[in-house]
Amino acid sequence: MTMNASPRILIVDDEELIVQAMRKYFAGLGYAVDSAYELEEAQALLGHYKYDLVIADLRLTGIGGVEGLQIVADVHQKCASTRVILLSAYGTPEIERESYQRGADAFLHKPKAMMEIAHVAVNLLDTR
Amino acid sequence: MEHSALDRLLAPGGITPVYQPIYIVSDAAPELYGFECLSRGPQGTNFESPGVLFDYVRLKRQEIVVDRACIAAALRNLPHLGDGVRISINVHASTLGRDPSFTEFLATTCRDTRVAAARVTVEIVEHAPPWDNDAFLRALAALRELGASIALDDVGLGQSNFKMLLDASPEFLKLDRYFVDGCAKDAKRRAVISSIEELARRFGARVIAEGVENEEDLQAVRTIGVSLVQGFLFAKPMTAGELTVH
Repeated sequence: MTMNASPRILIVDDEELIVQAMRKYFAGLGYAVDSAYELEEAQALLGHYKYDLVIADLRLTGIGGVEGLQIVADVHQKCASTRVILLSAYGTPEIERESYQRGADAFLHKPKAMMEIAHVAVNLLDTR
Repeated sequence: MEHSALDRLLAPGGITPVYQPIYIVSDAAPELYGFECLSRGPQGTNFESPGVLFDYVRLKRQEIVVDRACIAAALRNLPHLGDGVRISINVHASTLGRDPSFTEFLATTCRDTRVAAARVTVEIVEHAPPWDNDAFLRALAALRELGASIALDDVGLGQSNFKMLLDASPEFLKLDRYFVDGCAKDAKRRAVISSIEELARRFGARVIAEGVENEEDLQAVRTIGVSLVQGFLFAKPMTAGELTVH
């Protein structure tokens, strides 16, 4: 990686176990990690802090939710240099296409090993 | 969903009140005028930052319930400060416009906590529409009838505009730190402060300068005529325990 300061990342998922596991993993890689469980919590954080990378789950409110798409749009609007990875266990080709249209840098289908997510994250941060 | 941040905020102890002193400054030693009650979310969470906390609350459109929780926590934890000391509480304009029983709630809370309503200043924050302007004006009238004073927060920023000044006719104008910070070295900032001080004088109101962090800026606002100040130069926001020691 070519950055000077620790990259700051935001993890957004409604499942606490996933958030905690990702926090631990990415903190271990030297990232400064924030996390949010809800769309509005993520939006409030995005309004106050600048992130290098956002990793968000597509669905934050149960069946049918696509809040991750809103996060992608918010990030893209606030800071074009922030990279976004969207994760989903329910991603259809249409949603995946829409996520890229809104500015996502990667769309990963769950389940996905932490190492694979980290690999994508590091590559995205290196190519900023 | 495994987490509801709002539930955690509204649970007992979810909101921690802190208090920042407001001083009267003159050629004599600064004299305590009152305290602004502020709120912090649970320690170690995103909501420890008041900016994140209240942006979240506004995005969730939960201003009414959270404003009430913050006020209740602030007044219940308030140590005895002396009868002359004023207490400022923050309330969203949308709460005043949408919560028809807010004044009743404040009256009950004041009675339960033995805080005289006449000592209370209601600081109107974040005046973003949409809210019912007639209901808002009725709420202001009811608060004044209760004995409370009105302050307008963040004057000069965002929605805190001339229309709001006319509508609210506040007793206090809170000058945002954006204008105060560095004003000693910035003639344009001093010009803005001067115009707000003049406006306040014509409205029969007083200016409170927020974010006073050094002697130079203090002297600059004093020279303009501002005599009520708060900021780190005097004291940071304190918990009720720290306040007692202070």
